Amino acid sequence: MFEVRFHGRGGQGAVMAAQTLAEAAVIEGNYAVAFPFFGAERRGAPVLAFTRIDNKKIYSKTQVYAPDCVVVLDDTLLDTIDVVAGLKPEGIVVINSKDKPEDIDLGKELRTGAINATSVALEILKAPITNTTILGAFAKATGIIKIESLEEAIKRRFGEKLGALVGERNALAARTAFEKTVIGKSKGIKKLEPRKQWLPTYQELPVGGALVEGKTDAGLIGPGSFIENKVMGWATFRPLRDKEKCTMCLLCWFYCPEGTIVRISDRGDLMTNYDYCKGCGVCANECPVDAIKMVRARV
Amino acid sequence: MITIKELSDDNLFTAGHTACPGCGVAMSIRNAIRVLGKDAAVYVPASCAVVFGTTFPYGAWKVPFFHTAFENTGACLTGMQAAFEKKGKQVISVGFAGDGGTYDIGLQSMSGAAERNEDVLYICLDNEAYMNTGIQRSGGTPFGAWTTTTPVGTKIQGNRRFKKNLGDIVAAHEIPYYATLSIGHPLDFIRKVEKAKNIRGFRFLHMFTPCIPGWKMDPAKTVEVTKRAVESGMWTLYEVENGEKKITYKPGKMKSVKDYLMMQGRFRHMSEEDIKKLQMWVCRKWNLHYKEKGAPQICEIAPPEEHHAVTEEHREMHGP
Repeated sequence: MFEVRFHGRGGQGAVMAAQTLAEAAVIEGNYAVAFPFFGAERRGAPVLAFTRIDNKKIYSKTQVYAPDCVVVLDDTLLDTIDVVAGLKPEGIVVINSKDKPEDIDLGKELRTGAINATSVALEILKAPITNTTILGAFAKATGIIKIESLEEAIKRRFGEKLGALVGERNALAARTAFEKTVIGKSKGIKKLEPRKQWLPTYQELPVGGALVEGKTDAGLIGPGSFIENKVMGWATFRPLRDKEKCTMCLLCWFYCPEGTIVRISDRGDLMTNYDYCKGCGVCANECPVDAIKMVRARV
Repeated sequence: MITIKELSDDNLFTAGHTACPGCGVAMSIRNAIRVLGKDAAVYVPASCAVVFGTTFPYGAWKVPFFHTAFENTGACLTGMQAAFEKKGKQVISVGFAGDGGTYDIGLQSMSGAAERNEDVLYICLDNEAYMNTGIQRSGGTPFGAWTTTTPVGTKIQGNRRFKKNLGDIVAAHEIPYYATLSIGHPLDFIRKVEKAKNIRGFRFLHMFTPCIPGWKMDPAKTVEVTKRAVESGMWTLYEVENGEKKITYKPGKMKSVKDYLMMQGRFRHMSEEDIKKLQMWVCRKWNLHYKEKGAPQICEIAPPEEHHAVTEEHREMHGP
């Protein structure tokens, strides 16, 4: 049995990728299952999906804990999640990254296929949806599935849902990625410490779960504690403001859903705190004097 | 009246919350609480706002925050306000319910609180479907919209019912203040929230809040889409104060509803016939609100007399 775990962010299509891979495996005459991890998913938030492929019937229904391959649709996940947890020693990592495998630190030396999937997707699909692109890289790095069957599965699945043209384009994205994927060995230097959690005993837990502002070993809890949750990894684009053009109308400050744009009243200026910017682009779209433009984050 | 410049710098709904990029609900919440100030206590029933605003033990709210079940926003606000009054505290109890929690599931509780004219502020964040559970149809979903429970098939495409007229239902309780708001009209938005803050009795603010994944649209267009909704007549900005209705913003020239629909993936499948049907509904609404006929090149093409609730599908199902 070949087990795959997909790490992505909501909206990148990790679930679709898992399903399409399963379909490609079935086209080649295998058995396959695909399913997502169910949680409180949001667009941009980390998500999981799984695929199992075998040449006989598959009875296992659990999540994949010891995958043969890990597919990472977004390399910003490496900072917060141990993506290679449970990966078999001879396992393979397929990752969306602008770097070469030799420059990617996964905490272990592993066979790694790297592809700048965001760039390929933006070029061919005009959207940072990396699921089909990363599947092309998967086919190259693992070799367990032919790129032809993958193209077929993509055309079928995407064509059915979104129209034949979208299917064709996604197949082209997979093919392009297949040809561009670089295979090598990752670095194994960093030690990722799992994020500490606040785990009170039932005696310590306040009545009714009512929390007041507090500081624990695991960081802030209670009202306003989300301020420690940095979300810059969600962004594909980020705003750049031209101070010369800006008229300080404050519309961007008003509209920003995150509170990323901060007003410095005593200087009569604005500041963008990229730690919390998810790159939605509302500020750039609404600026009446076009002083804000969106540029690629992390190129 | 406060202008944007005079708004407080206090972030009572902090950054780092986990809403989708470009979320209309997050925008509305942040600015509403900015105007209401820190002497507010917030209740949120089951909705996106609970999930992205608080994940135990973390939270984005810097004001007291409370959450229990889906259907009881009106009842919970009543209880909160009673407790504050008993303790002699001057606090505004604010409820942020979604359209599911107001149009359908929370309607009885909201109606009860409105009937008793409780001194609370009820805010409905209307994103026109149950977005938190994965985009199911609600009473607020407009005609033609795709949701997972009104899919696009070969025989029937999208939602066949028209959006429920919640404004009239709420205003019929003869409450002191009902108003509709849009985040794309900041001054109107601020003025209405401030007005609601200073009125005693049951106040209802109805906010139009685009949902990026549910409406299948570009996250950068959140504000633009609310503006287009108002320009086309899909959303009307008005207030009802002690039974007296007043339009607070009237678009100069009616725009075709098609411009609004084509910005969103949830409407992109609509046939010309369905668009016409929806346009007819909008023209009728325009007429009711603004007391004038819509733009002639848009409204006179559609047959004027048919009652909006009796669609072909309705007849097939229920007879004439």
